[in-house]
Amino acid sequence: MLEILEDNWLLFLIGQYPHGPVGGLAMTLFLAVAGLSLSFPVAIALALARLSPRRWLRGPATAVVYVVRGLPLIMFIFWTYFALPLLTGHAVGGVETLLFALVIYEASYLSEIIRAGIEGLPKGQAEAAKALGLGYFPTTFKVILPQVLHNMMPSLVSQFVSTIKETSLGYVISANEVTFAASQVNNQLMTQPFEVYGLLALTYFTLCFTLTSAARWLERRLAAERGGLGAQPA
Amino acid sequence: MIRFEAVEKWFGQHQVLAGVTGEVKRGEVVTLLGSSGSGKSTLIRTVTRLEGIQGGQVLFEGVDVAGRGVDINRLRQRVGFVFQAFNLFPHLSALGNITLGLERLRKMRKAAARERAMTELDRVGLADKADALPSRLSGGQRQRVAIARALAMDPDVMLFDEPTSALDPEMVNEVLRVMRTLAQNGMTMVVVTHEIGFAREVADTVWFLDKGQIVESGPPAEVLDDPRHDRLRSFLSRAR
Amino acid sequence: MGYVFDPAAVLTGQYLDWFIWGLATTIALTVAAWLLGMTIGIILTLVRMLPFRSLEWLVAGYVEYHRNVPLLVQILVWYFGVPQLLPRAIRMWVNSHHSEFLLAMVALGLASAAYITEDLRSGIRSIPKTQYEAARSIGFNYLQAMSYVILPQALRIVIPPLINQTLLLFKNTSLAMAIGVGELTYRTREVDSYTFKTFEAFAVATVLYLAISFAIMALGSFADRRLKLEIR
Ligand SMILES: Nc1ncnc2c1ncn2[C@@H]1O[C@H](COP(=O)(O)OP(=O)(O)OP(=O)(O)O)[C@@H](O)[C@H]1O
Ligand SMILES: [Mg+2]
Repeated sequence: MLEILEDNWLLFLIGQYPHGPVGGLAMTLFLAVAGLSLSFPVAIALALARLSPRRWLRGPATAVVYVVRGLPLIMFIFWTYFALPLLTGHAVGGVETLLFALVIYEASYLSEIIRAGIEGLPKGQAEAAKALGLGYFPTTFKVILPQVLHNMMPSLVSQFVSTIKETSLGYVISANEVTFAASQVNNQLMTQPFEVYGLLALTYFTLCFTLTSAARWLERRLAAERGGLGAQPA
Repeated sequence: MIRFEAVEKWFGQHQVLAGVTGEVKRGEVVTLLGSSGSGKSTLIRTVTRLEGIQGGQVLFEGVDVAGRGVDINRLRQRVGFVFQAFNLFPHLSALGNITLGLERLRKMRKAAARERAMTELDRVGLADKADALPSRLSGGQRQRVAIARALAMDPDVMLFDEPTSALDPEMVNEVLRVMRTLAQNGMTMVVVTHEIGFAREVADTVWFLDKGQIVESGPPAEVLDDPRHDRLRSFLSRAR
Repeated sequence: MGYVFDPAAVLTGQYLDWFIWGLATTIALTVAAWLLGMTIGIILTLVRMLPFRSLEWLVAGYVEYHRNVPLLVQILVWYFGVPQLLPRAIRMWVNSHHSEFLLAMVALGLASAAYITEDLRSGIRSIPKTQYEAARSIGFNYLQAMSYVILPQALRIVIPPLINQTLLLFKNTSLAMAIGVGELTYRTREVDSYTFKTFEAFAVATVLYLAISFAIMALGSFADRRLKLEIR
């Protein structure tokens, strides 16, 4: 196992770079970070639309969320794979395809977290803001969302972990991330698939477990914080 | 019927019962008074071994409840226990809460168990709520179902741990009324309560527990109207 | 563009058969992995309730591995990796007997078990201790208290998350296409590559996936409403 690591660690970490495109773990992380960040504004828009009293906003947003929840990610990736070149008019690479699919997919899940956060906030918060004379947008963006996002930190980290795991589907469309890199190493070696994929699993585990633990730590800190606030007279 | 002999109970380093001695006779109603944390709940929970003890003995009809060869589940059927928080089973209707023990422990047929349960519900004035889930009942109604549930097992003794403390004031009386009738019909009862009026009117004996010991015991007229200990005196003045 | 969307073109003859086979395989894989996951999930839950610290740690390790490694990678490990560890004779046998379905089932089932045991445990933990005390006070022994009072309540709490797990499992069976299991996604790609009717093929698969997913979701929200217990 060590030998495989010794011979291929660069491929694992950064793919063919600098002789070819960046890949491997670096690409996995880039995809996860970019996917989640780009999905964020979309998620907020979806969440607000789903909570809107206007049916023409609520209906489509609800439909998007349900369709995404009902479809396997891989289906989504294939749709993107075929549709994106037609829509943009030129060839689209695996990485771009994966990124686009991830943004939509993650946005739907994130929007549910945000929506639950908004609904979970005491009614008094919105009412107090309105009583001050603040309109919808200042109320939402200056009062409601900052609190929701603060409470959401642990879920956000968990969602980041999910995103990292989902980037492994790049393997299916030959996007150059770490699972794909591992499969290439495996194809070269031929004889040690257990070691190669075991190493891959270990890599993901180390990364994701660290983050999961961080999420738990955040969760506990937030709970303590809430306990502290709750203890004060309102 | 129940005898506590020098009962000692520790929670870690903290001694909660420091040698409690006392006897509850058949047909007697004992009310147990004491400030919060004095060990009242702990004491009555030792009778059915919901709490184990580290020193002394608890005897039920002359038999050590912790003794070998004691079938604790048998004993628990003979000792009814009513909790402060009712502890009804939320997935079962009022009737279902009562028939569960009759069917599973008494091995009664469904119809017979149902009939028996209806008798008990009628006794606590809730025959019309038989099919209601606990979440649909008021606090006072829940506690009366809990009492009916315990009575259905034909207990020899009923233990009550602050049965009215979790209730809104207007519901306290409906529960006390049921308990009063029970006492008048000769049930042996141990009642932990803060209702001094109930103690004065219904109890044969009042125990005052302080720092894990019974420091005063006697008929209500004596203990409540002529308290000898300062602690009891201040307890009573606060309770009124 | 002159492109005509014509789903009927992929819903005839052998292509229709492929879709039916694909769907049947997806369902079979879901059911098989569900049963495996449920069995192992229950066993793990019982094991971690035993009073041995080492067993608790073992189960925790199991859960963490399956939750922190991508499911696709777990499938690849089982398909490419594990047979390598088997004796040659068994490996030959496995390779010649449609091992991909079996190994996908094992990978999906084991991963589900990790999530199921977490759901089960938190369901049991959420029943207050006083319920157990009340049951014992009536005279029930441990097993009776568990089976008449604790488990019926825990079950109600646990069923909605378990239905959600089922939905995730159903969607995740699509990953088995990566090792050549002929499930719905795999067959869809086959139809696509034979007919070049890409959009039609994927539209059919999408409708099928959504139909089943929505049915599971509906079941979930029905259970949610029906089983909700207001405790106290
Ligand atoms: N499980 C436990 N672990 C540790 N300490 C306990 C436990 N149960 C009770 N105690 C302690 O034992 C003491 C007596 O408790 P108990 O519940 O018997 O008091 P009480 O007289 O019933 O009070 P209250 O009127 O508040 O119900 C208290 O100091 C309590 O903190
Ligand atoms: Mg108490």
